Amino acid sequence: MLDQWFNPQKTPVVGEKPDYRFSLANERTFLAWIRTALALLAGGLACAQFLPPLPIAHLREGIAVALLLLGGVVAVRAVDHWARTERAMRLGTDLPKSRFPAILALFVAVGALLLVVAVLIKAFS
Amino acid sequence: MNPDPGASAERTRLAWRRTGLSATAVALLAARPAFVPGAGVWTFLVAAGAMAGWAALIGLAYRRARGLNAWPPRPGQRTITAYAALTVGFTILGTVLVTL
Repeated sequence: MLDQWFNPQKTPVVGEKPDYRFSLANERTFLAWIRTALALLAGGLACAQFLPPLPIAHLREGIAVALLLLGGVVAVRAVDHWARTERAMRLGTDLPKSRFPAILALFVAVGALLLVVAVLIKAFS
Repeated sequence: MNPDPGASAERTRLAWRRTGLSATAVALLAARPAFVPGAGVWTFLVAAGAMAGWAALIGLAYRRARGLNAWPPRPGQRTITAYAALTVGFTILGTVLVTL
């Protein structure tokens, strides 16, 4: 799998080079995911630096680390998805399907709920 | 006649530029604590690492954007993996910074 990440062109012997437009579209999709990862990292760092200490001990640091780790997972998944798409295009098979966007949305929603709870606790205490 | 009617190479180049700007925001946030009075050694090390990682990300994006001038454009390979690896590096730096 790692070889596929570093050199997706080499993987299939039977495959042929896809149209350059599709390869570049795949690359742009990868970059969009990387920007998502970078946004999560920026969010995590901003939480740690700009939020006041929350009423629950270490909740602020917990949210920050969760966002940072989520950013790392998104980056790793982005490169894996890119490599598998490149391979599928060369072999002419179906593009890889993924539940990851839905899972990521759930994680972000849970994080947002945590923050709402924190804000409410602070407002009414 | 335009050899690239969909402007794929140009759009990909702009996507690399946007990604570089996002990386800049992250690097600035990672380096910020070093400029607060009373910063520790580790904070300085994280800031230095963030600046080095940022330079690498910008360099990779610049090289890839230049590579897209070639005709026909070749898909990115190791640049993409290196970019993702550096992003994961920023995760580690950030986690060190938050747990200091």
